[in-house]
Amino acid sequence: MDSKFLLILSFVLFGISYLMRMIPLVFCKGKIKNKFLNSFLYYIPFAVMTSIIIPEVFSSTSSLASAISGVVVAVVLGLLGQNMLVIALASTAVVFVIENFILHLFN
Amino acid sequence: MSESKELFQKGLRDGVAIGVSYIPAAMAISIAASKQNFPFGIWELMSALLYTTSGQAAILNLLSNGTTVIFIYILTFSIMTFRHVLFSLSLSQKLDSNVGIFSRMLFAPFNSDEIYSIVMQQPGKIKSSYLLGISIFPYLGQMLGISAGFLFTQSLPESLKSAMGITLYAVFLALVVPPMRKSMHVVAAVVLAGAISWILECIPAVKSGLPAGSPMIICTLLTCALGAIFMPVNSEDEKLEEEIEKNNI
Repeated sequence: MDSKFLLILSFVLFGISYLMRMIPLVFCKGKIKNKFLNSFLYYIPFAVMTSIIIPEVFSSTSSLASAISGVVVAVVLGLLGQNMLVIALASTAVVFVIENFILHLFN
Repeated sequence: MSESKELFQKGLRDGVAIGVSYIPAAMAISIAASKQNFPFGIWELMSALLYTTSGQAAILNLLSNGTTVIFIYILTFSIMTFRHVLFSLSLSQKLDSNVGIFSRMLFAPFNSDEIYSIVMQQPGKIKSSYLLGISIFPYLGQMLGISAGFLFTQSLPESLKSAMGITLYAVFLALVVPPMRKSMHVVAAVVLAGAISWILECIPAVKSGLPAGSPMIICTLLTCALGAIFMPVNSEDEKLEEEIEKNNI
């Protein structure tokens, strides 16, 4: 990776992120009334995170089977309302167990 | 000024839980960065400056796709950060009128999703000493997770590293899935975004013709536009629902 590119990237993105948070806080007093804009903004985090997850998650481990198992565990625990730490650890542990113990039974 | 000291301490306490909750996600992106051979010093600097798990995950995603066009990074990052414009906008009305410009400028970069939600739940107007207090532990937690995640991965066996490839995605699933229980709109948006993302991945012209990273932007804009047109969210309704749920618990 090109260090100079990464450094420039860090500072440019910091500038953008800082201005976006600072300008409304310092200068604006009004509230956004536009329903379309409000709804659009509401969906952004979900859309972005989902597009990061799919389809890359399925190639994030050594085998498709272990990745699917990890996703299933994370989704089920999420639906049960478990917190992030539990979900992350359980999903990782299941992938580890499947890759190192279960898949060997079939090979 | 014992009142501002008290508010500062209340802020500190409210920040502890957020700080602890940041550690696993920060470790997860750091593990991903380490696996991509990101230079450690620059990764620390980038994390200290940007202080956004999802934004940095998107950057790592673009880097792993080999994107070299800086405009794509700026566009992706701006789209992801844009919700903070809204947070800052609504927070500016919650702040006490004697919170000065300097305090506002100082607090701005610390205004994360979680800090914003906690601050907005406080009764009455917010004073600057509270903002200062609540900013500290989340930032420390984030940087602790970033450093630990990176250093810790290098000494891990291959089998564990492979399993940890999924950790970051599990963290994102942990952010996306629980809200799905509360709102069918969120379920629809997630399913839609997943479908669009998958379809884009399958179209060879998108993969070869457009700069890497554009599928994420297309997917986000399309999902949010369709969501806003067909499933507009009434912010008053959402607040009411939250109130009702809180009272039930």
